[in-house]
Amino acid sequence: MKNLLPRHYVFLGLFVLTALVMSLNIKLDVEVSENTKRLYGFIDSLPENSYLIVSFDHEASSIPEIKPIATALLKHAFSKGHKLIGLSLFSEGTLIGYRLMSEIGREYDRKYGQDYVYLGFKPQYIAAILSMGESIPKTFPKDYLGNKYSDIPILSGIENYDDVSAVLSIADGSLTTHWIEYAGMRYNIAVVAGVAAAMVTTYDPYLEAGQMHSMIGGLRGAAEYEKMLGYDGGGARAMLAQTTAHLYVILMIIIGNVIYFRNRKKGIS
Amino acid sequence: MTRKFALMTCFIFGLVMFVQYFSNHPTAKLLNQSILEYWQIIFAFTLIVGIAGFIMNSVRELREGESKIYKLASLGGLILMPLLAMIWGIKADTPFTWIFENVQVPLQATVFSLLAFFVASASFRGFRARSIPAGILLASAIIILISRSSIPGFQFDFLTDFANWLRSNPAMAARRGILIGIGLGSVTTSLRVILGIERTWLGGK
Repeated sequence: MKNLLPRHYVFLGLFVLTALVMSLNIKLDVEVSENTKRLYGFIDSLPENSYLIVSFDHEASSIPEIKPIATALLKHAFSKGHKLIGLSLFSEGTLIGYRLMSEIGREYDRKYGQDYVYLGFKPQYIAAILSMGESIPKTFPKDYLGNKYSDIPILSGIENYDDVSAVLSIADGSLTTHWIEYAGMRYNIAVVAGVAAAMVTTYDPYLEAGQMHSMIGGLRGAAEYEKMLGYDGGGARAMLAQTTAHLYVILMIIIGNVIYFRNRKKGIS
Repeated sequence: MTRKFALMTCFIFGLVMFVQYFSNHPTAKLLNQSILEYWQIIFAFTLIVGIAGFIMNSVRELREGESKIYKLASLGGLILMPLLAMIWGIKADTPFTWIFENVQVPLQATVFSLLAFFVASASFRGFRARSIPAGILLASAIIILISRSSIPGFQFDFLTDFANWLRSNPAMAARRGILIGIGLGSVTTSLRVILGIERTWLGGK
């Protein structure tokens, strides 16, 4: 304990406080934002059997934040009877996306190949997005499981973006930008997204300009979407940890500034 | 001669890709599709270059005795994962996916989670209201943090509205300025490369 520096106490405080709050069974209520309502309304208003491309554009590191977002969006899409075409433009998102789609598809009794399909990973995302605009079968001749594109019932008649209602990008970085700029702008397909909280401000200009239809951001977005769907999932639970960490950070800022101003008054730099 | 050939290739492909963007002719679409396929093939080769560079650097550092254990672990992973993939494949329930889900995912998520601790520490040690702009930044950060939280028994409607205003006005203005700058810069650089004015990609001469 003697060798502990102030920053170690800060680390320890955050760990203890978050662990303590998480062990209590507190239920947080979140107010649903307009953005979340807009995305929910969009998926809800699509006619049954509409085709959606779900792109898992994230790395493994962001799983704790991305999984609740993806789960809520997939649950909604499956429950509305939409046909989902999954893929990944990041190699690390490939297996994660496949697992999630299969797991939630089973929950809603959806059949692989008939109600949803997973095309897998394609390198060089810009080329892949542009290529799908010309021909999806040429971009993905086989699905993730090795089935030929032409042998998969759900994909019969799906040639390019013209045959799909929207692209849903689940991202922890800037990849959604490429969906907006190349698929949205050039091929005129609606782009919606579920993104990590840190990326929300990056996409705000696209959202305001109408280049992206709607998005939800971070654990708060996931918790709001879960509330609209009427279940408590990973988003609602993780909001507890996030709120605790936010309040802890605010407390640290206040303490740090109190010390700073007190020292400045005393002439200590 | 080699440089002239490279410059000519760049000019022709740049011009063709620019023109085909505005055309719906089947030949233009076919050409676009073929070029996009080659783009992906070339990208695969750049991965090989990256892997070779990583191996050479790691081996050199191993010989020099720098961070031996980390270099061995990364080289081991680089060899093991493709081997597992070649023997059992990369589909669900294979050794490759087991390692991905039980080693790589938790490791990466842990490293990412450490950010919370560093942010807490930085907020205590470095986030000071030393000037008026720093004070405004600090107040904005606190407002955004509260607006993204949910505290039982407390409603922060006015703070949430103010946080949304911050996002939609000052933050958006800055972001748009950056985006417009990036856009103009991309167009200028592309034109310079296509016209052969910018030649640093040929080796800086």
